[in-house]
Amino acid sequence: MDIVSEMLHRSRLLTLGLGGLIASLVAIVGVAAPAVADEPIDPGEAEQTIQVWIRSNADKAGIPDVAVTVSGAGHEYEATSGADGKAIVGLADPGDYTVTVDESTIPTALGRPNALSRTVTVGQGNKNVPANFLVDPSFTPGAGPTSAPSPDAGAATGDSPATGDADDTGAGPPAAGTDWGSLLTQKVVTGVIFGLLIALAAIGLSLIYGTTGLNNFAHGELVTFGGLMTFSFGNLIGLPSWLAIIIAVLLGGIFGWVQDAAIWRPLRRRGIRLIPLMIVTIGLSLAVRYLFAFIWGPDRMNLATDPKPFLVIGPVSLRFTDVMGAIIAIVVLLLVAFVLMRTQIGRAMRAVSDNRALAAASGINVERVIRVVWIGGAALAALAGVYIAYYQGLRWDTGASILLLIFAAVTLGGLGTAFGALVGSVVIGVFMNILTLWIPENLKLVGALVVMILILLLRPQGILGRRERIG
Amino acid sequence: MNWNFVPLALGEIISPTTAAYALAAIGLAVHFGFTGLLNFGQAGFMALGGYAFAVTVVMFDGPVWLGVLMVVAVSVVFALILGVPTLRLRADYLSIVTIAAAEIVRLSVKTPEFSDVTGGSEGINGSGRAFNDATNPLPDGRWGLGPLTYSQDDWWYRIIGWALVVLACLVVWLLTRSPWGRVIRGIREDEDAVRSLGKNVYSYKMQALIIGGVFGGLGGALFVLPRSLQPDNYGTQMTFFLYTILLLGGAATVFGPVLGAILFWVVLSLSDGLLSLAVNQHWIPIDSTQQGPIRFILVGVALMLLVIFRPQGLLGRKKESMFSA
Repeated sequence: MDIVSEMLHRSRLLTLGLGGLIASLVAIVGVAAPAVADEPIDPGEAEQTIQVWIRSNADKAGIPDVAVTVSGAGHEYEATSGADGKAIVGLADPGDYTVTVDESTIPTALGRPNALSRTVTVGQGNKNVPANFLVDPSFTPGAGPTSAPSPDAGAATGDSPATGDADDTGAGPPAAGTDWGSLLTQKVVTGVIFGLLIALAAIGLSLIYGTTGLNNFAHGELVTFGGLMTFSFGNLIGLPSWLAIIIAVLLGGIFGWVQDAAIWRPLRRRGIRLIPLMIVTIGLSLAVRYLFAFIWGPDRMNLATDPKPFLVIGPVSLRFTDVMGAIIAIVVLLLVAFVLMRTQIGRAMRAVSDNRALAAASGINVERVIRVVWIGGAALAALAGVYIAYYQGLRWDTGASILLLIFAAVTLGGLGTAFGALVGSVVIGVFMNILTLWIPENLKLVGALVVMILILLLRPQGILGRRERIG
Repeated sequence: MNWNFVPLALGEIISPTTAAYALAAIGLAVHFGFTGLLNFGQAGFMALGGYAFAVTVVMFDGPVWLGVLMVVAVSVVFALILGVPTLRLRADYLSIVTIAAAEIVRLSVKTPEFSDVTGGSEGINGSGRAFNDATNPLPDGRWGLGPLTYSQDDWWYRIIGWALVVLACLVVWLLTRSPWGRVIRGIREDEDAVRSLGKNVYSYKMQALIIGGVFGGLGGALFVLPRSLQPDNYGTQMTFFLYTILLLGGAATVFGPVLGAILFWVVLSLSDGLLSLAVNQHWIPIDSTQQGPIRFILVGVALMLLVIFRPQGLLGRKKESMFSA
C-alpha cells in the first residue's frame, strides 16, 4: 500500500510541476532574446512541448524565475521557470532545439547550473521532452554529473546521471592528508571496499556461468532489485534498515529462483543453444530495467546514511556504512567460500562447473545444483545492490551501470571460477581507484574496461582460470 | 483526439532513421546471422561512424567525401581492435568485449576532457546541414502528401539513406552467394569442420567483422544527419534494438534487416502514439514520465519472445537459425 501511495503522490507532483514550468517558461520569453523571439505558444495547444526543469541539486527543489531560451528549427522561444522550477515551452515544429538557461537569473547563493545549455531532439507530437538542469555551488557548467537526456530513451532518462559511471564510488569525505602516499592509501582502501561490493555480484555471475555456461547480461538487474527492495521496505514502508536489508536479500533469492523456474529451466529443456540464450538475457535486462524505471521513476533514490566519518585510520576516513558493508561483505564471502569448499552442495557446484556430464553421470542432480546457484547468486547480487544503494545512491539502471565492471572482474579472474571472481573484483576495484590519480574520475570505468580487453589479449583464461576452458 | 500519429508512423517506413537502423542491422546480420559472431557492440560502430563523420565535417569543416572515408577507416580500425583479442576465443568473450568497447566509446566521447573535439555530453550539431550544403542537388521546396510532406533536405536524407541500404543489400547478397559466404556460414554452423577443410577461420571472422562494422559505421553517420549527435543515444539499448530488428526480419537473410527495421519503427511509432493518446485522454492511469519506459519494456519482451519462439524471424528458414554454441 505504501509504495502505491508514494507512487501516486509522485505522479501527482510531476503533473503539477509540469503546469508550473509551462507558465514560467512562457513568462521568460519576453526577457532574454528581445530581437527574434517567437510568440509563445500555449503549451496546452502546442503539438510539441519541451519541459525545462531547473532544480537545486542539494534538495531537488525547483528554482523559480529563471530565464530560459529555447531555439531551433527556425524558432526561438523564451520563458521563465515557475514556482516549482519548471517551464514548459510550446513548439510550432519538431526538430533539434537548444535550451539555454540565463545564469544571471539563478540566485548566486544556489550555485551554478551543471550545463548552460542542452540540445534536445523533439519529434513530431512529442510532449514535455525533458531538458533538466541541476544547480549546485560545486558545479561547473558542462562538467556536472547530469547528462543531457537522450531523446531515444524518452522520459525514462529523466535527470540523473546517465549511468552512474561518474564520480560516485568514492567512500567518505576526503581525508586531510593530501600528499601522494596518503592519497594512494585512501584510493587502495576505497578500492578494496568497492571491489568487495563487486565481488558479491561477480561470484553469482561466475557460478551461473560455471554451472550453465550462460553469460547472464541481466545480472545487473538482480543487483538493482536488491537496492530497490531495501529502499521500498526501508524508506517507503519504514521498516528498520537491518530488516529491510534482510527482506531484500531474501526477495533477491526468490527473484533468482523465479527467473530460473520461469525462464531459464524451460529454455534449457527446449535445448536452446547458449548464443540465443545470451540474446534472451539482453532482452530480459532491457525489459526488467525499464520496468524498474516505470515503477520507481527516473530519479535517484537516496538511502539515509550518516555522512560523518566513523572510522579514521591515518589518512583514511570511512563512513559507518563503508565499514559495516566491508565487514558484512567479508563475512558473506567467507561463508560462500566455506559452502563451496566444505559442503556437499558446494562440492556439487564445483563438480558441475568442472564437467557437467560427468557430474550428472556420478549421480549429482544437476538441475537442483543450478537452482541453488540461481537462488544463491541472485541473493548475493541483491546484497551487492543493497550495498551499492548505500554507497553511491540508487537508480533504476544502477545495476546495468556496474554490469560491465562485474564482467570485467569475472573475466579478469577467469570465467567460471568463483575465487577468480573474488580476486578479479578486488583487483578491478583497487586498480580503478588508483587509476584516478592519473586519469579523470569519469574515465575510470573506461580504464577498467580497457584493462579487461588487454588481459584477454595476454592471458585470456584470466588470473585463476585454466587454459582449456577458453577453447 | 489527435490521430495524426498514424500517418506519421507510416512515414517511418521511409524515414532516414529507419534506413540508418536497417543499414546497421545489415552489418549485424553479417556478424551474427551469417558468421555467428555475437557482437553486442554494434552501437559502438554506429557511434564511431557518427562521430567520425560529424567531427570531420562539422568540427574540422572537412569535405563530405573525407567524412565518409573517415567513417570507413574508423570502423575498420575498431573492428581490428575488437577482433584481434577475441576472435580466437569462444563466442561469449566477443560479446563481453564488444559490449564493453561500445561503452568505452560512449563514455570517452562524452567526457568533458575531449569536448573540444567531441562536444562532450552536448554532442555535435549540424552534420546534416554540412552534408546538405555540400551535396544536395534538389531544388528548394517541400513536397509530399499531407503530413508526409518533407523539405528538400529531408528528401535528400531519405534518398541517400535508402540508396545506401539497397547498395548494402546488394553487396551482402553477392557476398553470401559467393564461396566466401559459404565459408562464413560454415563457420557459424561448425567452426572445427571449416578449419579441418584448411580454411583460416580467424581471418574469415575478421573479414566479416570488418564488413559488418563498416555497414554499422555508415549507418551511424546516416543516423546523425537528421538530428544532432548525442553520446547517450549510443547506449546498450541501441544494440538491443538492432538485435530485435535483426531477429524480427530474420538474422540470416539479406532483406530481413530491412523489413525488420521498417516494421520495428512503424510499430514502435504507432504504439508510442497510441500510448500518448491513452495517457492524454486518461484512459490508462499512468503519467507521461511513465510512458517513456514502456517502449523499452515492449522491445525487451519482444526480443525474448522472438529468440525463443521464432529464432529464424519472418523471412528466415529454421535450418539457418542453428548455432554451433
